[in-house]
Amino acid sequence: MSSYVIAEVEATSPLSGLVVPKAATGLALIVRRAGRPVGFIMQPLHDAGPISPDALSALLSPLSAKLFLEGIRTELLAAADTAGFPSLTVAVCTRDRPALLEGCLTHLLTALGAGPTPGSTQGPGVEVLVVDNAPATERSREVVMQLSGVRYVRESRPGLDFARNRAITEASGELLAFLDDDVTVDRDWLGGLREAWAENPDAAAFTGLVLPQELVTKAQILFEAGGGFRRGFEKIRYHGQSRSDNRLYPCGAGIFGAGCNMAFRRDVLLKLGGFDEALDTGPTLPGGGDLDMFYRIVRAGYPLVYEPRYLAFHQHRRERAALRRQYWTWGLGFFAFLVKSYMTDPPLRPRLRSMTAWWFKHELSELVRSLSGRHALPPDMILAKLVGGVVGLFGEYQRSKRRTATIRDRFA
Amino acid sequence: MAPLAPWKVVRLELEHGVSALPLDPRFQGLHVTFWWRGIPLGHLDLSNRHLPMTTTEVANLTSETIAPAVGHRLSPGVFQVALPGCPPPPPRSATPAELRSMATLDRPLSRLSAVARPLDSGSVSVVVCTRDRSAQLARCLRSLTELSEAPAEILVVDNAPTSDATRQVVAAVPGVRYVLEPLPGLSRARNTGIRCSAGDIVAFTDDDVEVHPGWITGLRRGFSESDVLAVTGLVLPAELETDAQVIFEDSGGFGQGYRSRRFDRGFLEETKRRGTPVWRIGAGASMAMRRIAFARVGEFDERLGAGAAGCSEDSEFWYRVLAEGGVCGYEPTAVVFHHHRREMNELKHQAHQYMRGHVAALLVQFARYRHWGDLRRVALDLPKYYARQLVHFAIEGADPRRPLVWPEIRGCASGIAFMLGSAARSHREARRSATPA
Repeated sequence: MSSYVIAEVEATSPLSGLVVPKAATGLALIVRRAGRPVGFIMQPLHDAGPISPDALSALLSPLSAKLFLEGIRTELLAAADTAGFPSLTVAVCTRDRPALLEGCLTHLLTALGAGPTPGSTQGPGVEVLVVDNAPATERSREVVMQLSGVRYVRESRPGLDFARNRAITEASGELLAFLDDDVTVDRDWLGGLREAWAENPDAAAFTGLVLPQELVTKAQILFEAGGGFRRGFEKIRYHGQSRSDNRLYPCGAGIFGAGCNMAFRRDVLLKLGGFDEALDTGPTLPGGGDLDMFYRIVRAGYPLVYEPRYLAFHQHRRERAALRRQYWTWGLGFFAFLVKSYMTDPPLRPRLRSMTAWWFKHELSELVRSLSGRHALPPDMILAKLVGGVVGLFGEYQRSKRRTATIRDRFA
Repeated sequence: MAPLAPWKVVRLELEHGVSALPLDPRFQGLHVTFWWRGIPLGHLDLSNRHLPMTTTEVANLTSETIAPAVGHRLSPGVFQVALPGCPPPPPRSATPAELRSMATLDRPLSRLSAVARPLDSGSVSVVVCTRDRSAQLARCLRSLTELSEAPAEILVVDNAPTSDATRQVVAAVPGVRYVLEPLPGLSRARNTGIRCSAGDIVAFTDDDVEVHPGWITGLRRGFSESDVLAVTGLVLPAELETDAQVIFEDSGGFGQGYRSRRFDRGFLEETKRRGTPVWRIGAGASMAMRRIAFARVGEFDERLGAGAAGCSEDSEFWYRVLAEGGVCGYEPTAVVFHHHRREMNELKHQAHQYMRGHVAALLVQFARYRHWGDLRRVALDLPKYYARQLVHFAIEGADPRRPLVWPEIRGCASGIAFMLGSAARSHREARRSATPA
């Protein structure tokens, strides 16, 4: 039985020891400096018992340089002026997961500065919108009705991007943040988004750090140890059509962030025609829509900003089979996106071809490493990703387009 | 090779905060130096490819660039610096307590002034040696009148001038004394400066620099420990307008970094087997010596220096300081801005003179101390290095960014010839004086 305990450490306060439950086989530390996330450490525990302040300090020592840098950076930068922050709509697209939805909304309302008690309202200019996507039951609607200040709309056409596009038309905010129903936001989530906005007033898209909400099964630990959704603890601004440190940029759109925690300027989404409804179509093709949007935004010349302080926690799949399926969808969704881009973006075809070659070569070498026991992930997970990639490469996007057309006709 | 666009030299004073950096298409990019209240902390070349840059990106890059220098000042035990030619300091892993204190430091930059070393109390004489460059000298003297701390005296040694121009420039600046040295040679001129000055510390700079207002204070800080006999300071490019200036700066320039260093006998012992890299202690454009050092190790060797073998009269002096058990210090807050040679033929001539002087100095050092590493460098390491360069050029074609290899090789050969000639001359003189008249 594997189970990691997740603890938060504030580096600027005196370290106290950590009490670790007996059953814990490892420790995951979320390290902050003055509230700002600066690092994540996963460490197996060999003997039970509490962790002393000295042991904790030793665990933190690899982060010393980063913490020191952060101290200089903070001194250099006066606090960003967030006075001009625009109106915001937070959209949660969901489908038949009322328990997760309730957790998501509760944390969100708390972070937005309003308790989840009936009768309270959010701060000015913030709207929370739930898009219930082709639900089988009324449970999600009931969850929303218990909470005040949350708008509910139903999108009958099944498919995440139908729901996201519905959110675009329903939203009133200038800025539109998307959250998946299986994430909960950090208490400083809004502060992160405001900061990223203030620092990059010209940006059209923002993505944030995603950390695990729990690590109580082998599958969850594997996923996080394999990199999870993490994209690092440095702010990154992607702008322009090439980067000297990445010749395949912007085709490897996974670098930009994760769709479970992202925000856009709504007028740009409208200008680009919204999300591609043939991606993210539920069980058959559950991914790619976020990558496609990041890619189109960067290709249209807008900056895209990754901000670690814009932090949310993801409820990873608990079962191994579900995790394997998730890796399969990564391969599938990524290649559906690549094939689509290949058809719609001729100038970048050579780079998209190189990306394809690089990806298969990379995943095969990962598989070899895994087979020889030098990889955090077991071979079946990497194989699932590879198989997903092959299926995605051979016609999945076209198949999905036909399916989506049928759905559109059915609901027309 | 078509001339490249210049680089814009920018000073960012971080106490005023950071801001976005614009793209200026007239330049290839920005050469940015970072300062906090007069303390230089690092520099960065930002080509136009990376511009414009937002405030956040500037802050991120800045903190990465200056962290080693800031850390070295606040916690030298954790941020150690290797001496040139030496292996990195033994990996003494910092204690958790030290790491904790670095990690939790609030407002580290504001603490920098509090940890500055004390100043030596000796009086300072400034000596500028010059030869027929009156316009540049005027610019240098102007910067010397703007020092935040005035030296006890400023001397200009006019070395074998062909005209009266230098005397007139000096006469126009009150408080600067004019000294004539009719015999050519930078070493000779510097020695004249030593003899004609009175300060406890003799600071030298060149006519082609402008000094930073904190230059004298920085040098005195370098002497804060009483065993330090010689101090060098940071030399930054004043401008990077021409290809020649960019190539010179790219090939290392004069800069020796943003962390103070201490060179002692141990450094000599550690490195002498391959020729102690004394030339990396600093540059003659920003250096000072205690007057007592001249009594202990002698003055500048008049066979070396511009007007004689070429240069390296400064590093050969530091060699004697180390060999006689003294200490040389490098202090980055003693800053001067150097105007590199603008024209490629000037740069090639300079490269030739550098290597000529360098090889001559190695031979002088070997003759005096018999440290075989100096000879090994002349006879083995330098030929090997240049042979490799030539093989590389033969295969890859000549690199237009490295036009100095030929002048350097000729300089080396000419340095050896110079020393052979000099030895023959002194031999003849010795025989003549031995023969009864």
